[in-house]
Amino acid sequence: MTTTPFIGVSKSLLKIKELINHVANTCLNVLITGETGVGKEVVAQNLYEESPRTAHNFVKINCAALPETLLESELYGYEKGAFTGAHKKRSGKFQAAHKGVLFLDEIGDMPLSLQSKMLHVLQSGEFSPLGSDQDFKTDVWVIAATNHDLEQRIKQKQFREDLFYRLNIIKIDIPPLRERKEDIPALVEYYYRLYKSEYPNNQGSKPDADTMTRLCNYPWPGNVRQLQNCIKKQMVLNSWEKIFDEMPSEENHGIVSQTPPRSQFDPGGNNNVHPDFANDQTSLISQFVDLSTSSDKLFQDISLKKIKKKASDRVEKEVIAFVLDKVGWNRSRAAKILKVSYKTLLYKMTEFEIDPPSK
Amino acid sequence: MADPVRLLIVDDNKDILSTFYEFFNSMGYEVKTAVDGFAALKLLREKNHDFDCLITDLVMPNISGVGLISIVKKEYPDLKIIAMTGYGDQPGALASEARADVVLFKPVDLFKIEEKITGLLDNGNQKKQE
Repeated sequence: MTTTPFIGVSKSLLKIKELINHVANTCLNVLITGETGVGKEVVAQNLYEESPRTAHNFVKINCAALPETLLESELYGYEKGAFTGAHKKRSGKFQAAHKGVLFLDEIGDMPLSLQSKMLHVLQSGEFSPLGSDQDFKTDVWVIAATNHDLEQRIKQKQFREDLFYRLNIIKIDIPPLRERKEDIPALVEYYYRLYKSEYPNNQGSKPDADTMTRLCNYPWPGNVRQLQNCIKKQMVLNSWEKIFDEMPSEENHGIVSQTPPRSQFDPGGNNNVHPDFANDQTSLISQFVDLSTSSDKLFQDISLKKIKKKASDRVEKEVIAFVLDKVGWNRSRAAKILKVSYKTLLYKMTEFEIDPPSK
Repeated sequence: MADPVRLLIVDDNKDILSTFYEFFNSMGYEVKTAVDGFAALKLLREKNHDFDCLITDLVMPNISGVGLISIVKKEYPDLKIIAMTGYGDQPGALASEARADVVLFKPVDLFKIEEKITGLLDNGNQKKQE
C-alpha cells in the first residue's frame, strides 16, 4: 500500500499531524470526522504507517456501500452452509485485519443491528463468523470515519451512544478545504507532480498566479478529492478555463467571488486600487504620482527611476505578503520560495511593514 | 517542609478549569492545567513533568479523557487518576475500564475531590512503605 502523504501547511493540518504522531503508537480507537473528500482515509493510513502495526494489514470496509447482510458477512466471515449460497467457508475483514488496522469508513451509515454486534466485538475482543458457534479472539486497531454528525444521529436514534463513546477515544476532525485555503497551493503542486509523473506525455500546464488565486478562492464543496480530480482533468484538457466552467458555480455555495490578494493579504491597505486599473492608464499612473497637482509640479515629480522604485516596492510587498500568507507565516520557507536570503526577507518585511495578521 | 502535591487538571471548559485552579492553588497544591487530553499529554511528555495526581474530564476533543487515562496508565503507572464526567454512565464506565482510580459525576464537590486526592496519595504512600 502506498500511503498518500497528508499535504498542507495550515495550522489545523499541522495540529492533526502532531496528533497522529502522538497517538499512533497507542492503538486506541480513533474516530475521524470531516466532510466528504477531506482526506479521512489518508489520515487513517498515516496513523497506520506510524503505528507498530505496519507488518500486518490495513483493511478497509465501507459500511455505507454494502447491504446489511452482506456487510455482516464481509466483517465477520461465514461458515460453509451458514446461508443459502455459502458453499464454502470464508474469512471476514476482522480476521484479515488481525494485529493490523480495520478502517471502518462511513461508520455513521452502519445499520443499528450491526452496531450492536460491533460494540460487542469491541468490548469483548471476540467475534464469531456467521453460522459458527466458535468465538475468535481478535486484536484489531479500529479506526472509524464518518461525514455524519454522530451526536445528531444519536439524538435521532440512528446511532448507538455506547458505540459512539467507545469509538470516540481519539477524535480527529478534519476541516473542509475552504477553511484552510493556505493548503491549496501545496495540494495543487503535489497532485500536479503526481499526475505529471503518471502521464509524462500530457501537456497540462500548471496554474499561473491568477488561476491559483481562483483555485484558492473556490469553495471546494468536494474538498481535496475534487481538487485532485481537477488537476487530473487539467493534465488531459490543458485548459483551466474549461475546468472552471465545469465546476459547480461558486455562487451556489454562498461564497461571493472576491479579489483575494487585496481582501486577504493587503497589509498596507491600498484599498483604493481597483482590479481593472491595468486597463486604465491614468488610473495606473495615479497610484505612483499625484495627478491632482498642476502640470509643472507633476512633471517635476515624475522620474522613471523614482516610479520604478515605487512600483517594484508595491509589487514586492504584495508578493511577500501573499507568499507568507500561503506558507502560514513560516519565514524561512517564504525566503526559500522567493529565492532570497532569510535576512533579506526580514529586512524587506520591516521596510514594507508587513506584519503577521493578529488573531 | 514537604513538597506541595502536584496536580494536572484537564477540562475543555475554561470556567471549570479556572475554578479548579483557584481552589486547589489556594489549598496549597501546585497546579497545572490543560484544555484537552492532547494538551495534557504534550505537557506530560514534553516537559517530563512529575505529577502526583491527574484530574480529568472525559468528553473532550482530540484526545478524550478515556484516551488520556489509557495512555497515562501505561506510560506513568504511578500517577493517580480522578475522572469526572457530566455525560451520563457511558464515559464513566469506559474510564473505569481504563483503570481510573476514582470516577466522579458532575457537578462535583471540590472538597470531596480534595478528600479523594488525599485518600489516593495516602494509600499510595502506605503501599510504598510496605
